[in-house]
Amino acid sequence: MQKSSSNPQQNASADKTREQVMAEREAKKQAKLAKKQKSVTPATTIITEVEQTTITQKLTTTTTTTTKEQSELPLRSINVADTKTASQSSAQNSTDSVNPTAPGSEKTREQIKAEREAKKAAKQAAKSAKSNNVDAATKQLNNLQVATKIEPAPAAAAIATGAAATADHEKKKPALTKAERRAIQEAQRAAKAQGQTKKTTVTPGSVKSAAGNSVKATPNVPATTHKEHKHDRNDKEESPAKSPSKGGTVKADRECKVKLFNHLVSADKDASLFINDPNVHPSMARLGVQYAQRTIVGSNARCIAFLHALRQVVQDFETPAKKEFGRSLDVAVKHHVDHLNKCRPLAVSVYNAYKQFKNQLTQLPTDTPETELKELLGHFIDTYIENQIGKAAQAISSSMQEKITDGDVLLTFACSSLIQFICEEAKRRKVTFRVIVVDSRPFCEGQEMLRRLHACGIPCTYVLINAISYVMPEATKVMLGAHALLANGYVMARTGTAQVALVANSHNVPVLVCCETHKFSERFQTDAIVYNELCDPNLLVMDGKCSLNNWQSKSRLTPLNLSYDITPPELVSAVVTEVAILPCTSVPVILRIKPDIGY
Amino acid sequence: MREQPLKEVTQLIHAIKMGLVEGSYSITNKTLDIFKYIIMSKSWDSADALMQIVRAQSRILQAALPQETVTSNIARRILKLTREEFELLQAKVQHFADDSQASLSLHKLVTQTSESCVSVDYSVPQQGLREALLDHLQEVETELETSSENISVQAEEHIHSSEIILTLGHSRSVENFLKRAIKKRQFLTIIVAECAPACRGHNLAATLAQEKNVEIIVIPDASIFAMMSRINKVIIGTHSVLANGGLRAACGANTVALAAKHYSVPVIVLAPMYKLSPLHLCEQDAFNMVGCAEDVIAYDSMPARDAKVYSPMFDYVAPELVTLFISNAGGHAPSYVYRLLSELYHPDDLEL
Repeated sequence: MQKSSSNPQQNASADKTREQVMAEREAKKQAKLAKKQKSVTPATTIITEVEQTTITQKLTTTTTTTTKEQSELPLRSINVADTKTASQSSAQNSTDSVNPTAPGSEKTREQIKAEREAKKAAKQAAKSAKSNNVDAATKQLNNLQVATKIEPAPAAAAIATGAAATADHEKKKPALTKAERRAIQEAQRAAKAQGQTKKTTVTPGSVKSAAGNSVKATPNVPATTHKEHKHDRNDKEESPAKSPSKGGTVKADRECKVKLFNHLVSADKDASLFINDPNVHPSMARLGVQYAQRTIVGSNARCIAFLHALRQVVQDFETPAKKEFGRSLDVAVKHHVDHLNKCRPLAVSVYNAYKQFKNQLTQLPTDTPETELKELLGHFIDTYIENQIGKAAQAISSSMQEKITDGDVLLTFACSSLIQFICEEAKRRKVTFRVIVVDSRPFCEGQEMLRRLHACGIPCTYVLINAISYVMPEATKVMLGAHALLANGYVMARTGTAQVALVANSHNVPVLVCCETHKFSERFQTDAIVYNELCDPNLLVMDGKCSLNNWQSKSRLTPLNLSYDITPPELVSAVVTEVAILPCTSVPVILRIKPDIGY
Repeated sequence: MREQPLKEVTQLIHAIKMGLVEGSYSITNKTLDIFKYIIMSKSWDSADALMQIVRAQSRILQAALPQETVTSNIARRILKLTREEFELLQAKVQHFADDSQASLSLHKLVTQTSESCVSVDYSVPQQGLREALLDHLQEVETELETSSENISVQAEEHIHSSEIILTLGHSRSVENFLKRAIKKRQFLTIIVAECAPACRGHNLAATLAQEKNVEIIVIPDASIFAMMSRINKVIIGTHSVLANGGLRAACGANTVALAAKHYSVPVIVLAPMYKLSPLHLCEQDAFNMVGCAEDVIAYDSMPARDAKVYSPMFDYVAPELVTLFISNAGGHAPSYVYRLLSELYHPDDLEL
């Protein structure tokens, strides 16, 4: 089975690495499963963005548990793997995360759960897509029309990239072509955004014909085009922020009108950013779009996604003639990171991971062949994910388990994969506790948290942040996730976290911040204004009748949507890290004893 | 003895429950009209009889609308008025001018003992009471009408130019106050927290944005703490002022006040006199009211089926978090509220 498929490839590349074989095998499995599932339940075959994000976020859990159970039940798990990993791997493929250990590895409970959850989400997304079907469909048609025109451009770009060398023969590999196609799609969408600003009206007739063209244009993959379309539609569903932001490009110059925040640039939503830059690897281009559209949110998820994309870049990297591998790769990666930074300011976790990677590059041995070096770097990335994110989460969870006892009422804010992991672990230990999820407009990430906790059967209460004084008397502990821990002990987290800590303090409820050490930052900051991230202010406008509608026309009115806030250390009882449970002010100590984290 | 509500009272209760009459000011106004009508048209021959009627009707209002304390407040005002007018008339008749409460001399304060407060017999019919009451009610009405204006003229005393002010939700007093401030002072920045889920802050922001020389910033409720470090003053309205100087204010006010305390930002509360109520904070459930949760999370969303979702309307703000009350009579410290209450209402009327 392996030989037959890899025939064309064997001709091309003599030194086929293990990873490639693995990736290929996985890809085949996915293709098979896709076929099978299509005949049985078409709804589940849709790999939506929701699924993607949940999987990436779930990775925190999966990576840890795989390593644990690897030693415990190798036999059972392998058996299960044959039958069930396929669908999981399809999801993983879609996030472009071809984990070399994944295909041969096992199917843990967590994975199944994650998968099930993802499917549910997919179904729901499909359902909601139906309601907006008409709208989405027209949008899609518009999209395709531009697509046909742009078609040659991304192809050329793809050849220009480092990936292009292997692209020719790899086209038969669904996994990789898929990634490329996605990148192309993204580019098309971006192109469309630009096109829309130029062309004001699109006649429906031309749209139809164009749509027909585009289907013809990709006849070699008829099985997956359908899926692609669904993708597209779901993209539209997932990012309501997009449509207003397009209108927002007109007044991009006045976006930072708030004087206090003139120094902060809000993420550049300009479409030209997403047009294929020949020097940006497709996986990175895609990641950039996902960052910008906030389909990948949360510092852990962003970090994992970044590292997966980075591995792809390393894999496909070709050293230019007469250049040193390490140095030229460093330059290439820097370019990619700059690109990501333009899409959305880098998360501290991503920045730390990048610094670590750079450090690794400088320490590469000079006398080893390139393939080995690539393998070395791939290994480094894997261990980084496993240790810094996976194992850290596990360590934090185990120390938190001592703190969660029967009858506890935990209060948490917004959505944190780590808090979710801790709650699930506590539930598994059969502790009777309940969770109060506090949420805030405009992102309403708490709803996602609520959904996940609800899926594990944890009883939940849900309130908005201004009702926090109403529920705080019930709470026995406040557990908060963090975006980063600053060197002066301040906690940088989703805006609203500081308020929760403040009210908890006034009610004398202990506040525990859970944060892995890979999120520790060397920066000092005393308020949330010097360094912050501005999100799309249009998100504050409520749909329907809202007096904020077309605020752009009122020169004196500005909605402001801050991303993060800073919680002073006096409001935090303790920080739970994988090293120890510490007071906030001990962050510099950790930075000192763990110098590989940030400098 | 169960009292039957008057037709007007039932109508008012219905209107308020249906949301036809909104805002403390209009509720107070409507209640006052009802009591005026009672005084004018009801057959009562003594002050005692009138007070009985007023008490009964305000009890009905209170039972039907436990959150709207202004109805009881205005009833207490009228009871106090009745007592005063009656005593004044009695004093005129009996020529005991120095016995009236109005002239508490130092000598009297010193010599007064509890026995000297002889209970007045209100059941004696009194000529001219009705006319005197209606006269006095006119004064109360005028006071009510001008209360918002009287509060907003004080804006200049509290706001300087290029100040950054934070407010929460939408209060009519705050709107007028800020409009006045914008007219008088230049380069103000007003930050409005939207107050989800109703997001009434949006309305306030849109209204204020029509003025000139001002910058309006709308923030979600979650950013209050983040912004607080740059704010000079917090100005909020309130639903009612409690006897200890605490507030029953819009949901989220406690967070604002706590954040302001954290950054030592003064919190100014605009409260016209009719919002002062002789109540103390009892338990949360009686104090608060939960609204419709549909706006918080859609009923048909998957986790909403099993999760408990709350959308409370009010927040309790402790008196130590409030810096200053501005009422139509001027500024007051929270510790002074008890004194205002004892001047405003008769001690016997605190319990209706």
